[in-house]
Amino acid sequence: MKISIIKPGLLSTVQDMGRYRYLSQAVPVSGAMDELAHRIANKAVGNNDNDATIEFAYANASFKAETPILISYSGDGAFLVYDDELMPAEKPLFFAAGSVIRLINNPVGVHTYLAVAGGWDVPDVMESKSTYLTAGFGGFKGRKLQKADVLVSRTILNEVSDKILNQLIERSLTYPNWRISRECLLPEKRQKIRVVLANEICWFDATSILSFLTSNYIIDLRSNRMGYHLAGKPLVKKVKKELLSTAVTPGTIQVTGSGDLVMLMADCQTTGGYPRVAHVAAVDLPLCAQLKPGDMIQFSEISRDEAEELYLEREHDLSLITMAISLKYI
Amino acid sequence: MNKQKRYLGTNIPLKIYGLSEKSVTITFGTEIDNDLLDLITDFNQLLLQNPFPGLITTVPAYTTLTVFYNPLNVILSDLPGEVCLEKVSAHLNKIAEINRKESEVMDDHLVIPVCYGGDFGHDLLTVARHNNLCESEVIDMHTAGYYTVFMIGFVPGFAYMGGMDNRLSTPRKEVPAAKIPAGSVGIAGNQTGIYPLETPGGWQIIGRTPLEMFDVNRAQASLLKGGDRVSFKAIAQDEFNTYMGV
Repeated sequence: MKISIIKPGLLSTVQDMGRYRYLSQAVPVSGAMDELAHRIANKAVGNNDNDATIEFAYANASFKAETPILISYSGDGAFLVYDDELMPAEKPLFFAAGSVIRLINNPVGVHTYLAVAGGWDVPDVMESKSTYLTAGFGGFKGRKLQKADVLVSRTILNEVSDKILNQLIERSLTYPNWRISRECLLPEKRQKIRVVLANEICWFDATSILSFLTSNYIIDLRSNRMGYHLAGKPLVKKVKKELLSTAVTPGTIQVTGSGDLVMLMADCQTTGGYPRVAHVAAVDLPLCAQLKPGDMIQFSEISRDEAEELYLEREHDLSLITMAISLKYI
Repeated sequence: MNKQKRYLGTNIPLKIYGLSEKSVTITFGTEIDNDLLDLITDFNQLLLQNPFPGLITTVPAYTTLTVFYNPLNVILSDLPGEVCLEKVSAHLNKIAEINRKESEVMDDHLVIPVCYGGDFGHDLLTVARHNNLCESEVIDMHTAGYYTVFMIGFVPGFAYMGGMDNRLSTPRKEVPAAKIPAGSVGIAGNQTGIYPLETPGGWQIIGRTPLEMFDVNRAQASLLKGGDRVSFKAIAQDEFNTYMGV
């Protein structure tokens, strides 16, 4: 399966679930900002969760099917449109060669993931297909997608993908009647971000901690795949200590010298020297990935054990989805 | 130094905190110190040789070692404990107890060629003036040193090295340079480091190495790793060109 990019959009990159084994060489994790949407797009075409998808930031992009294609999309930055008709998300979509598919704006979020049956075929660099723009490696030639780029899928399909494809072709359908419900996995109040307090929490005065957990923070314009600056009440340190650089990870919330918050995201540095107030619960990181400048959030505290339990529950739910889809077809 | 005594004496049980659902950090001390670095390097190697189910990777830093894992594998393992933090901690404490008499590991020692000054080291004069030295003294003192890589951070392959002669200590630039070429050797405070990629940066640049500090196509992409010993050797422009194949 093959597509060509007609309009690349603002920032479109090939991503998978990240590059974890090279953190000690200061190679960031990278990977999909919204890992949940990435995984669901993959599941909808029968792929493995770690297969490469295209991550689009916002809309204003379009592509053409150069061969018949089986794709799916998930995320909150855009809707797919074919022939002036809105295409449903989170289910397999079949298009004939020559079809032109556009992305139109979804006001809810930022990132949208386009999966293809078999996964997008780009070389592995350091055991991952994720793009890391700063060093210019991984993904599609180490860069964001441009007009006229041609992307192909891996040719060998697994059994589920193969059966989905045959079903749609035999019945001349664009899509089946089932879909995955991503909303069911996400909390209703999307502006409430659950956090676990971090190791340096006692470096801040009580008023600061209280305001961190009660006041509003707004996503600043200085926000990208590396992290978000948050505008809001600055935090005050009650100790004069400095932190020696130590490992940080996507979800870590650092406090800069001026007391401002920075939430680290997928392309963040592997080490940092700012004290940390909290880290975002892994299950809520996908919500953060859909935040755009101007959005307002609040933080609410949960315990480390709760965060782990929520993570394990989420993983369990995701494995049930995979099982349900394969039971439908095999 | 008797490393084994330090493990058993002052660091049991290890000080461990959770960094995320997928990682914990062990704190070995509070200050930058060569002995502490040896301790972290040894512990890291021992852990990588004796991994627990689900271990993904580790990140050594000045006073800490952070351990990344897959929580699903950890929770299903038979390590003692109810939650991942307990299970991983149990394993890490077991590692700390291992009698490591026979697992001494030699550190690598690398000599890095550097072409100092000129177009490659615009801030050599700044460093010299700041410390009331002449440029050649700065080069002599920088090449006389024996350095230790404390940590790889900032961007892929960037090595923070300690052990520099205090008389070369120079603060970072007030305004970081927008572009520092790959291979640039810099000084910030009492540390020295090499920019592996062209990035913005605030370090005072005194020279450039022709070596590729980070190359994704190499088995070990980053030329340096935490714990490595490093020294610098001055080379002339034509030697630099030979390295680069010019």
